[in-house]
Amino acid sequence: MEFMAQANKRFGVRTLLVQGLTLLNVLTSAFMIWKGLSLFTNSESPVVVVLSGSMEPAYHRGDILFLHNGYSPIDVGEVVVYKVKDKPIPIVHRVLKVHTETETGRQYLLTKGDNNPIDDRGLYSRGQLWIDRSEIIGRVKGFVPYAGMGTIWMNDYPQLKTALLASLCVLSLFSNE
Amino acid sequence: MYNFVQRLSGVTSFAMTTLMALVVVISLTTPLIPSAPTQTLTLLNVHTTTGRKMDVHDVDSKNAEYARLTFDLDADLTSMFNWNTKLLYAFVTVDYLTDDFSTNTVVIWDRLVKSKKQAKLKLRKHHNKYLLRNFARTFEGVSGANMTLHVNPVPYLGIMYDTPLDSIGVVIPRAVKPVENS
Repeated sequence: MEFMAQANKRFGVRTLLVQGLTLLNVLTSAFMIWKGLSLFTNSESPVVVVLSGSMEPAYHRGDILFLHNGYSPIDVGEVVVYKVKDKPIPIVHRVLKVHTETETGRQYLLTKGDNNPIDDRGLYSRGQLWIDRSEIIGRVKGFVPYAGMGTIWMNDYPQLKTALLASLCVLSLFSNE
Repeated sequence: MYNFVQRLSGVTSFAMTTLMALVVVISLTTPLIPSAPTQTLTLLNVHTTTGRKMDVHDVDSKNAEYARLTFDLDADLTSMFNWNTKLLYAFVTVDYLTDDFSTNTVVIWDRLVKSKKQAKLKLRKHHNKYLLRNFARTFEGVSGANMTLHVNPVPYLGIMYDTPLDSIGVVIPRAVKPVENS
């Protein structure tokens, strides 16, 4: 309370409120852009960071991938991000086989990582032989190297995340305009 | 007038904006760089066999028919390397039609071409690297099969796209001792 009273005397209530509003504005617009992009690409997460080395040398850990899911059927040779039912982590691999049923349009897909010797059937759910179109989060359309290294570091060292957030809050409160 | 932090923030924000603009320009222009890859794909033989357990996850695999292709491939992909090409993913597909499926496409061979030195592909009497098997257990009712070489450039930065080259027709026979399709 002592701190609040002092801050009030020094900056005034209005300045503090405006600072708070600016912060909220930044947060909400970032969220809006993310959700808009998600709607446009028909993908639950249109930008992902590569977390494993199974697609080396094409993609390394920490590279950023831009996804576009769309509604069209998947083709062979495309790199897709998929998430099977029981496994929480999305996987970035290349499509090796495609079978499309004429009547229902249902697609049966088989994937494989470039750096893996065998296909992904061991990574799917128990007894699952094919990936369904609905399990695809998106196909990789764009690629920027190294840009996601920050995410990797923050995943590896969670203290970094808290430190970053705290310093951001402090900075935003003590900067004028 | 300006303190150090304000100058730093100005410089970094300008640098970020310039970098972003550069990323967009590079991404959009790279696919426009012309290239002239040449290739000839020759199919020498197709032999269909059955009776081996090929896939530990698939209980059907022992009774399924597998086609073993023998092919020659000559391709010169050197011209597809430009300053923004990290590697080329070259792959051969077989696609065909069946009664129930409108698309059946299977990658039977692939290679990551990492430099210009490796860009001249020369395969002689090569067999498929990956198994060629129908979704059903046999090749019954398979028609209009084609074999195609595709090249997928992976850029250092930018957009991914696919380049299918010419395709040739393939006939996939049934196994000599066919399994019942039940």
